Amino acid sequence: MASGFAGAGTTKLDLEKYTALFLEEATEHLAEMSTALLALEKEPGDGEAIDVVFRMAHSIKGMAASLEMDSVTELSHRLEDLMDGYRAAGRVDATEGIALLFRSLDGLERMVEGVRENGVAPALDDGLVALLGAAAAVPENEGEPPKKI
Amino acid sequence: MKTVLIADDASFMRQMIRDIIEPEGYEVVGEASDGVEVVEKFRELHPDLVMMDIVMPKRSGIDAVKAIKAEDPTAAVVMCSALGQETLVMEAIQAGAKDFIVKPFKPDAVITTLAKTIEKGE
Repeated sequence: MASGFAGAGTTKLDLEKYTALFLEEATEHLAEMSTALLALEKEPGDGEAIDVVFRMAHSIKGMAASLEMDSVTELSHRLEDLMDGYRAAGRVDATEGIALLFRSLDGLERMVEGVRENGVAPALDDGLVALLGAAAAVPENEGEPPKKI
Repeated sequence: MKTVLIADDASFMRQMIRDIIEPEGYEVVGEASDGVEVVEKFRELHPDLVMMDIVMPKRSGIDAVKAIKAEDPTAAVVMCSALGQETLVMEAIQAGAKDFIVKPFKPDAVITTLAKTIEKGE
């Protein structure tokens, strides 16, 4: 387990307690994200669902960073960045974009399971991170969906 | 004892802030999990300081700061942000937030920021 937050300042925090909290909340967030992605699969312009995926990624990033789970932090950060672009565009890319979002959800679910089973976050999927980075880097285009990757 | 209202949609983060500030003598008088609830609880509890995430459901942290400052122009609000949210932090400061702290939290930085913010308001 990462040393996490304890010792970063004067206050010592209970990492076991926070890891349990992380597992509970991240599992709930991923379930919400899954529901939102199913909604986006039907309606790529569903602004509420886009916002949910963005906020869930943001929240998982914050928790993982606090526990120094670098791979979870990085993947959720990349997903948050991509969703921020989709928020600005008002819709997700209905084909490759949706597939990439489901793949990201799957990656985060596997990481959280790894923490639950082994107490440590699995290594980052570099290929997935590269795809997310490339998709997020595509300039917004006056409300048009980001280009396909 | 100075009173604090904590607003974040993640109970993980609310608990972490509580665990950092309570041993330093701050009293957490309330928690809120979205941008609507924080404004309601501010109105009800009149805390000395609000610690609030920028990204929240129902109403963003920036909108919530504006609403709180409209209720009480002297309100002390510290935003909790993450790396890469510099633009949002600037918007929040323009909306009336006094300062910000960055996740992942460093306990010393949190305590220093709170103390400075409360001192500036007195």
